[in-house]
Amino acid sequence: MDRRGFLKWLIGGMGVVALAGIFYPIVRFLKPPAAVSGAIGQVANVGAVATFPAGQLTLVTVNQRAAAVQNLNGKYTVYSLICTHLGCVVALEGDAFKCPCHGSQFSPDGKVTHGPATLPLPTYHSQVQNGSLLVGPIDLTGAAYPDWYKGEFA
Amino acid sequence: MSATVDPAPGKTPSQARRRKPGLVGWVVNRVGLDDTMEDQYNRVVPKHATNYIYCFGGVAFVLFLILAITGILLAVYYQPTPDTAYQSVINISTHVQFGWWVRSIHHWAAGGMVLLVFVHMLRVFFTGAYKAPRELNWLTGVALFGITMGFGFTGYLLPWDQKAYWATKVGTDIAGSVPFIGHFLLISLRGGEQISAATLGRFFTLHVLVLPGLIVVLLLGHFWMIRRQGISGRL
Repeated sequence: MDRRGFLKWLIGGMGVVALAGIFYPIVRFLKPPAAVSGAIGQVANVGAVATFPAGQLTLVTVNQRAAAVQNLNGKYTVYSLICTHLGCVVALEGDAFKCPCHGSQFSPDGKVTHGPATLPLPTYHSQVQNGSLLVGPIDLTGAAYPDWYKGEFA
Repeated sequence: MSATVDPAPGKTPSQARRRKPGLVGWVVNRVGLDDTMEDQYNRVVPKHATNYIYCFGGVAFVLFLILAITGILLAVYYQPTPDTAYQSVINISTHVQFGWWVRSIHHWAAGGMVLLVFVHMLRVFFTGAYKAPRELNWLTGVALFGITMGFGFTGYLLPWDQKAYWATKVGTDIAGSVPFIGHFLLISLRGGEQISAATLGRFFTLHVLVLPGLIVVLLLGHFWMIRRQGISGRL
């Protein structure tokens, strides 16, 4: 291959790489997101019940959203960790939830112990099946959650 | 009458001489683009116009192309109704693959285009490039600036969040303060006395149908004139 031919291939190759860098995200963008696994509304298996120690809160992810599993002597409750104030993810500190954004605090059963949040952390429908904890849709009937909060799970 | 035979009837000598090979050549030979493009390629850029301050208009145009492409992509998922607009934008940013990427590029390119169009205007002003015979190109530039601002104003409402709502409230109130026709402008923009679903529909239509058509026509005029008149002389 002569010099001119080599440079032609080199420049052409760089052009192809540059175009691929543009078109790859576009093709991915056009693919409907519903096809992505872990989409909203799907039942999620968060793991074997043995992985949730009794009397403790364990952090899990439900459909890419932060949640915590509480094991009270074999009774499992799954709390959403999305703060009801403005939607930050609350952190587990000791056995209470504390929001890093505006300081709201929640007790281990999801109730507000310190503002500015006024509504409790909601729970997910869940059940144990074949030794695994299955998590279904969120239960937002417990309080008058605002539309944007419902939207977090839509 | 002479007995000579025209070797290529209806062609100029250069067209008859140059026949490009290959698939591209097949199209080019039929469209007759060769001479037009050769004329474009052979333009000499004056030395003084290779200064970086002469690039702003071109950069603004590149940003426009990026905005057109990302805008078409966003329109695939965006829904211009009050019930779903905000949620569809959040959906683009959080669920659609590379959605945050496309939306961010659209956002920053939009801000950048407003900035670049303005800086381009300053360059034209301070180099005196608006003077005869380029007054009409200055005027199309003024219209293009207005259209760019129109894109920004109408696009700002589309996420349908609090910032969008109040920015549109203030902006349309300003239109409403124009003497005599103010109220007409206000209700025309809002589609009623108040900001509502009609406002969102109108702004969406302006943003994706009306303004793109206008800007393409004016850009063609803008570029046509710069080619006809050449780049303005040095200071």
